[in-house]
Amino acid sequence: MSEALLEVADLRVAFATAGREVRAVDGVSFSVRPGVTLAIIGESGSGKTVSCRAIMGLLPEGTIISGSARLRGRELLGLSDSELRRHRGSEMAMVFQDPARSLNPTMRVGVQIAEAIRTHRKVSKREAQAQSIELLRLVRIPAAERRFHEYPHQLSGGMRQRVMIAIALACRPRLLIADEATTALDVTTQAQIMELMLELQQELDMALIMISHDLGLAASYADEVIVMYAGKVVEQAPAGRLFGAGGAVRMRYTRALLDAIPHLERPAHTLLPVVSGRPPDPSALPPGCSFAPRCQYAADDCRTKAPVLAEHAPGHSWACWHPCENGGTA
Amino acid sequence: MAVPIPDATLATPTPPPLPSLVSSRRLRTQRLGRALRLWVPAGFLILVLAMCFLWPMVYTLPSPTNGNIVNASLPPFSPGHWLGTDQVGVDIFSQIVYGGRVAFEVSVATTVIGMVIGCALGVLAGYFGGWVDAVISRVLDILIAFPALVLALVIAEGLGPSEFHVILALAVFSIPAFGRVSRGATLVVRGLPYMTAARLSGTRGWRIIVRHVLPNIMPGIVTFSLLGIGVVIILEGALDFLGYGIPPPGASWGAMIANGQQVLTAQPEYVLIPSIFLLITVVALNMLGDALRERWGVQ
Amino acid sequence: MSAGSSGAGPAGAQPLLSARDLVQEFVVRERGGAKGGVVQAVSGVSFDVMPGETLGIVGETGSGKSTLARAVLQAPRPKSGTVTFRGTELTALHGRKLLQARRHMQFVFQDPFGSLDPKWQVRSIIEEPLVAYRAGGRAERRKRVDELLDLVGLDPARYARRHPRELSGGQAQRVAIARAVALEPSLLICDEAVSSLDVLIQAQVLNLFERLRSELGLSYLFIAHDLALVKQVSDRVAVMYLGKLCEVGPGEAVYRQPLHPYTRALLDSIPSTEPGAARAAATIKGEPPSPIHPPSGCRFRTRCPRAADLCASEEPRPRELAAGHMVACHFPLTQPAATDTTAAAGTTAAAKGAAE
Repeated sequence: MSEALLEVADLRVAFATAGREVRAVDGVSFSVRPGVTLAIIGESGSGKTVSCRAIMGLLPEGTIISGSARLRGRELLGLSDSELRRHRGSEMAMVFQDPARSLNPTMRVGVQIAEAIRTHRKVSKREAQAQSIELLRLVRIPAAERRFHEYPHQLSGGMRQRVMIAIALACRPRLLIADEATTALDVTTQAQIMELMLELQQELDMALIMISHDLGLAASYADEVIVMYAGKVVEQAPAGRLFGAGGAVRMRYTRALLDAIPHLERPAHTLLPVVSGRPPDPSALPPGCSFAPRCQYAADDCRTKAPVLAEHAPGHSWACWHPCENGGTA
Repeated sequence: MAVPIPDATLATPTPPPLPSLVSSRRLRTQRLGRALRLWVPAGFLILVLAMCFLWPMVYTLPSPTNGNIVNASLPPFSPGHWLGTDQVGVDIFSQIVYGGRVAFEVSVATTVIGMVIGCALGVLAGYFGGWVDAVISRVLDILIAFPALVLALVIAEGLGPSEFHVILALAVFSIPAFGRVSRGATLVVRGLPYMTAARLSGTRGWRIIVRHVLPNIMPGIVTFSLLGIGVVIILEGALDFLGYGIPPPGASWGAMIANGQQVLTAQPEYVLIPSIFLLITVVALNMLGDALRERWGVQ
Repeated sequence: MSAGSSGAGPAGAQPLLSARDLVQEFVVRERGGAKGGVVQAVSGVSFDVMPGETLGIVGETGSGKSTLARAVLQAPRPKSGTVTFRGTELTALHGRKLLQARRHMQFVFQDPFGSLDPKWQVRSIIEEPLVAYRAGGRAERRKRVDELLDLVGLDPARYARRHPRELSGGQAQRVAIARAVALEPSLLICDEAVSSLDVLIQAQVLNLFERLRSELGLSYLFIAHDLALVKQVSDRVAVMYLGKLCEVGPGEAVYRQPLHPYTRALLDSIPSTEPGAARAAATIKGEPPSPIHPPSGCRFRTRCPRAADLCASEEPRPRELAAGHMVACHFPLTQPAATDTTAAAGTTAAAKGAAE
C-alpha cells in the first residue's frame, strides 16, 4: 500500500464575522493516496470547500485554523504565503466551480496557461508557449494552436473548464482538488469533464479530490467517499461499500441524502422521504450530534453526546449512535 | 391542514456555548470597531451641528461681521474671544459658527434639491427607458457639462451674489449627479427577478416605482448624498474664497480663508482654523457614508 | 411539434395551455454595444398542457427552455407564435386585459431570494397579487396570507413579518410559492425552481409541489436541466435542444425507450448511484454549437453519432412513433441509422432501450 500523499488530521477552521464566531470546519481528518479519487460530499455549509481551501492556504487573513495537513510529510498549515506559492501549482492545484470567473477575460487563454507555467519554472516565453499548447492538447481541446490565441468568452463553458484544468496541471501537481468543478456545467459536458479528469489522473498518477454535493457523481467516479455535515465528517467509506446493490449506508444523514435525490427509476409523483428543518447555524452548533434536530431516529444520547467518527467496519467509518441497519432502509 | 415544518433551532433547548476557537477578545474588538466607525463621525457631526445652530441660541456670541478695531488680532483663549479675533477685530469663533451655518444650509439645501429633482428624473429615465431615458439623459448631460464654479460665477455676476444664488448654481451641479446615480441604481434593480415577479403579480408601473424601486435604491442614494454634502461644502467654501459666494461682510469659512491669506506668515491660525473645520467636517461625512454603506451592504 | 391529446386529462378535454410555433429572438451585443448577431432562442416550438397534468421541459444551457417559459408568460412577448390559455389567446391582448387573462398563470423563479423584494415583509410579498387584482379587503387579504403561509408549511406567527434576508433558501422559495398560489391559479410555471436548493431542502419543496398539485388541482410547466428531477415530477417530458423540441412523450416512455439520440445522450450522462454500472461511452461528442449560427437541418447533427447527409440538408419534422410519443429525428433510435458503421450503435441502443 502506497504512502498517503495528503494527510489531514483534526482540521478546524473558524471565522470571526460581525462579532460572532462561525465554526466552519470542526475536526476533519482524512488521507489521500496517489492515484486515488476521493469525493467529499456535502451540502452548502458542510465545510467541504472551506476544508480544502484551508489546505491550499486560500482562506482570508484572520481565519483561525488549527490541526494539521501534511502533503508528503510536509506541514501545510501555517506556511507563509511565499512558501505556499511554491507548493501550489507544483505539488497541489485546485480547479474551481465557475470557469467564467476564474479566468481573466482580458487575457488570451494560452497566455494564462503560460503564465502559470512560468510562475513555477524558469523557462523562456517560447518554451512556455509550446508547453501550453501541449497542455491544451492534454485536456483534449481540438485545434490547440488556434485556441491558444483565443479569449475566454470565445470558448464554451466546457472548454473554459478544460483550460482551468490545463492551468491547474501546468506543473504536474501530485494532488488536484476539483471544487464543484462540474456543477456549473451541463450534464453532458459534466460527463466529458469527469472522464477527462479520471484519464488525466491515470496518466499523471495524481491524487484527485472532488468536492461536490452530488452523490451520483461520487458513486460513479470516486474510489473513496467522505460525507460531511455541519463541519464534521459523518461517514467515510470506499464508494463500493456505500452505493449500489451491496451498499450499506450507515449514517442517517447519508441515507437521507440518498433517498432525497431524484432517481430515474422512481415512478412520477412519488413523495420523497423528507427530512425537515435545515442545517444548523455554524455560529450556534447544537450539542451532541449536529444532525439530531432533523433526524427521525434521534434519541436522547444523540442530543447530548456528539458521536465520534470511528471505523465500525473494515474501511467504513461513521459517526452515529443509531445507524441504519444492513441494507440501509431501516 | 398542513403541518408546519419544525424549525431546527426550536427542537433543542439553548445549547451551552462550545469551547471557542476565536478568542472573545478578537470578537469584541471587531464589534467595537464597527460601532466606532459609525458613531465617532456621527457624533462629531452632531457636535458641529449643535455648535453652529444651537449654541448661539443659548449663548450670545459676538457679532461675526462687525468688529471693534480696538480688539484687532487678539490671540486664541483671550477673554470673551475663545479663538481670538482677526485683523479687523471680528471674533473668529463666531465666524466659524455662523460660517458653519451657511456651509450646512447651502450644502443640505443643494443636496435636497438635487436628490428630489435628480432622483425623480433618474428613476423615470432608468425605469421607462426608451425615449424617456434618451431625453432625460441628454438633459442631465447638458447640466453636468456646465462647470459648477463657472456657472456660479456667472450667476453671481448677473444676479448679484447671495446665499440663494449659490444654492441655485450648485444645484445645477447636484441634480445631474443624483440623476446619474439614481438612473444607474434603477437600471440595476429593474433587471432583478423580484421586479419581474412584481409585474407578474399584477402591480402597475407607478406602484412598482414607489414601492419597489425607491426603497431599494434609497440606501445607495443616502450614502451618496452624505458624500455629496461634503463636496458641496467644499465648493461653497471655494466660491466664498473667490468672492462669488456669500457677499462680505457675511461670515463663511471660505471667506475666512481668503482673509487669512493676507497675513498667512504672520498669523497662520486665521487660515488654519477654518481649514481644519472644513477638513474634519468633510472627512466625518465621508466616514459616516462609509460606515452606513458597510451597515446597509450597499455596493 | 404538437404534444397534445396524449396527456393525463380526460379524452377530448381542451388543453389548459396551448403554444403554437413560438419563436423568440435576442440581439447579441458585442463589447461596446454593437449588434453582433441574432440568437433564435426558441425556434418554432409547439406543445399543450392538459388540465391537471405536469409537463416537464428538460434541456441544457442554450436550449431555450427558460426563454420559452417567459414567452408563454408574454414577459417578454414572443416574436411570433400564439399562446392560448384557458381558451383565450394571450398574444393578442394588452394591458389590463392581458393582466386579467394571465391571472391564473403564475411563475416561480429559480433564485428564491432574487424573486422577493428584500425591503418587503413576507406578509406584503404574499399579499401583493391580492392587492393588484383587488381580491378582497384588507382583513380578508390578511387572513388569506395566513392561510397561504400555513399551506406552504410556514408558521404565520413566526414568518409573516420577517424579511427575506431572515429566511433560508427553502423558506424563501416557499414564500415565493405562497405568493404564486395566492390567486388560485390553474397553471404554475416553475423555472428551475429547485435547482439552487440543497438536496434535502429540494426534496421538501418538491413534496410541497406534489401536495399543492393534489390539494389545489394545479397543472405545472416544470422546467429544469436535471432529467431525473423532471421525470420524477412530470407526467409528460419534453426534451429541448438549441431552441427546438427533440422529443415529447410520457415520462416512463422517454426514459425506457428514448427515441432521440440527444435524449439517449442525456440519459447516459446522468451519473447513477450504482458504481461500476457500465457507464455507456459518451454517446455525444464535441461542443455545443454557437446559437447564433445553428447547424443547418437538424441542429443536433454536429454532435450526433448517427448523423448522415440527410440530417444536414433537411430539418426533421416531428412525428408520432408511439402513443403520445413524438420525436423530431430522421433516424430515431428504434430504427437503424443511415450508415453501416453506426447501425450497430443504433441497434445496440435500441436493444438497450427495449431491454430496460
